[in-house]
Amino acid sequence: MEQFIQAAVIGVSLGAQYALLALGFTLIFGILGVVNFAHGGFYMLGGYVAYSCVVQLGLPYPVGVVAAVAAAAALGWLFELFLLDRLIDDHLATLMLTLGLYLLLSSGLLSIYGPLSMEFTFPVTGSLRFGPIYVPRENLIVLAVCVLAIGALWLILFRTDLGRALRALADDRRVATAQGMRPKILFPAAFALATGLAGLTGALVTPILALSPSVGDPVLATSFLTVILGGLGSLGGAALAAFIVGLVEAFTSVYFGGSIGALVLFVLVLLLLVFRPTGLLGRQARGA
Amino acid sequence: MKYTLALLSAATIAIAGLQPVAAADPCEIKVGAIGPMSGGGAQWGLAMQSATELAAAEVNAKGGLKLGDKMCKVTVVSYDSKYTADGAAAGANAFASQGIKIMIGPVGSPEATGIKPVAARNGQITWNAAYAKNSLDPKYPLAFHIAPGPATWADPMAKYVLKHFPNIKSVVLIAPNDQAGTDVASVDSQAYQNNGVKASEEYYQRGTTNFAPIITRILASNPDAVDTASSPPGDAGVIVKQLRLAGFKGVIGRMGGPGTEEILRVAGGTDVLQNFYWFETMAVTDQMRAIDDQFRKLLGKDPIGGTSMWGDLPAARMTLKAIEVAGTADDAEKVAAALRTLPVDDPNMGKGVWAGQKQYGINQELYFPFAVGIIKDGKQVGITRVDPNS
Repeated sequence: MEQFIQAAVIGVSLGAQYALLALGFTLIFGILGVVNFAHGGFYMLGGYVAYSCVVQLGLPYPVGVVAAVAAAAALGWLFELFLLDRLIDDHLATLMLTLGLYLLLSSGLLSIYGPLSMEFTFPVTGSLRFGPIYVPRENLIVLAVCVLAIGALWLILFRTDLGRALRALADDRRVATAQGMRPKILFPAAFALATGLAGLTGALVTPILALSPSVGDPVLATSFLTVILGGLGSLGGAALAAFIVGLVEAFTSVYFGGSIGALVLFVLVLLLLVFRPTGLLGRQARGA
Repeated sequence: MKYTLALLSAATIAIAGLQPVAAADPCEIKVGAIGPMSGGGAQWGLAMQSATELAAAEVNAKGGLKLGDKMCKVTVVSYDSKYTADGAAAGANAFASQGIKIMIGPVGSPEATGIKPVAARNGQITWNAAYAKNSLDPKYPLAFHIAPGPATWADPMAKYVLKHFPNIKSVVLIAPNDQAGTDVASVDSQAYQNNGVKASEEYYQRGTTNFAPIITRILASNPDAVDTASSPPGDAGVIVKQLRLAGFKGVIGRMGGPGTEEILRVAGGTDVLQNFYWFETMAVTDQMRAIDDQFRKLLGKDPIGGTSMWGDLPAARMTLKAIEVAGTADDAEKVAAALRTLPVDDPNMGKGVWAGQKQYGINQELYFPFAVGIIKDGKQVGITRVDPNS
């Protein structure tokens, strides 16, 4: 029973992290119709900006997190405005652009910080213990920030004019544009919002795990897997799928070992694609 | 647009014009350094690169390698094989396209598996540092091995570790679920069992970033020790960090590749490691530390890789010597033949022997006495040379 509860705690914690990444990824696809291959790069950038603020500049960790969000959002905004926007309807071009940005980011960070891992630890350590069950304090803080961020994103998307405009563009760009929505302003804003989320996740998670110029690689795979499971472009689906992925990964790894855990996730996605190609909450393939 | 293009063209021409036109070097020998230079195993690949750079710099400081009546400068070309079989195979081909027949590296078992047939086809020498059961193979006579694998040192190391940590009665080994992980963990596991320790193995998918679920599974068996075997140092650092966070108070070990500096960086220092032991290719002595000073003096920067770099250096030095003896860097067969005749006697490492016949059926492995590092109660005890016959 203890193992079951422990697996559930780990699964929820993983799910929250995956949700932040997947929401940004699916937001970009849902609104812009772009598969952002640079998503792991923004995660990595967030980690390195937070590291520089905290370790190199001696700033408090929360300032580092805010700086990481700002840096990732600013780069995302500039990238969308000056590069992506020019080729927004050319899927191959946007794919190559985002992939190119990822390579630039990883190579740039590699040349600045070097290839080895950084000594970057979370400012709060230790675990809360309930008998044999443990909950790392750092994971609790990350979980709280993730839940707040997801809530804030929901408020922005469903309770503000900006959110309504973004959703309108996602539903039907031509009609939304005819109604006065301005993609030239809204697309960079949506991209910045999503990359800011990736930067936030990087700043929160890399001090708990590890920070090196290769930490962005698995992020893309996880984000992709999660949003496919949830339904490409579906925000609710991405959040739901993130927690399913986290829980499946935790339970299968705890009960069947690390190799089976990874395998089960891919089998799950494979089965879903066969029986429900649109994902858990996706409606239909989006025409960008 | 035309104006922009014209400006760009003009700028390109101007920049090109500023480049000094280098005179073709009459005699330059290019040597490849290959290994993972990014990702969790980066420390091992960069160690390979640093060792090759130092060996080349030492030769160049004396005027170069004497080939016939010419003194040739040695330059090092690096390739990041990313700890993958395809990366290493691509690296061998990339070097072949530049006419490079001598490679120092690669590091890991997947890389060694991937590079051997390609390098054999290209006629290239390789020096892998893999711990795989097939690191060497008589059908690949151009493949050499930098140091012995766990089949040679796991048993004496287990004996040494148990003298320092006699309370270890059970151990769980954790490693990636590929050849690099399973070959080492299974040999280590047998060594523990031969010394009366109950051992079991846990494997994970390479690329795993969060080990919390696997750690929960490991701790359910309540082991006295957890051994990170051949997990890349970056992964091992996260495993150590998360084990301690989960409340594991036992000993953590590493009967696998070196990389403790990286583990310390990721985990957060010796306080986190508490009680820790690890395999080292050699003892840390003043004579070994002198390698780093030599590196800084000749190359004007810090070496990367710590003891891994020291362990890779004899192979790089001997290979350059063999090129001189063979009188060529283009005929790998001749260089390999010369290499086999050289005595194993390194200025820093001391005397060693050619080994490998028993394990692999071919005597192309460098064997120097190994060492074990110990951290006890959060304090570095040191890295001590271990007599395999003790």
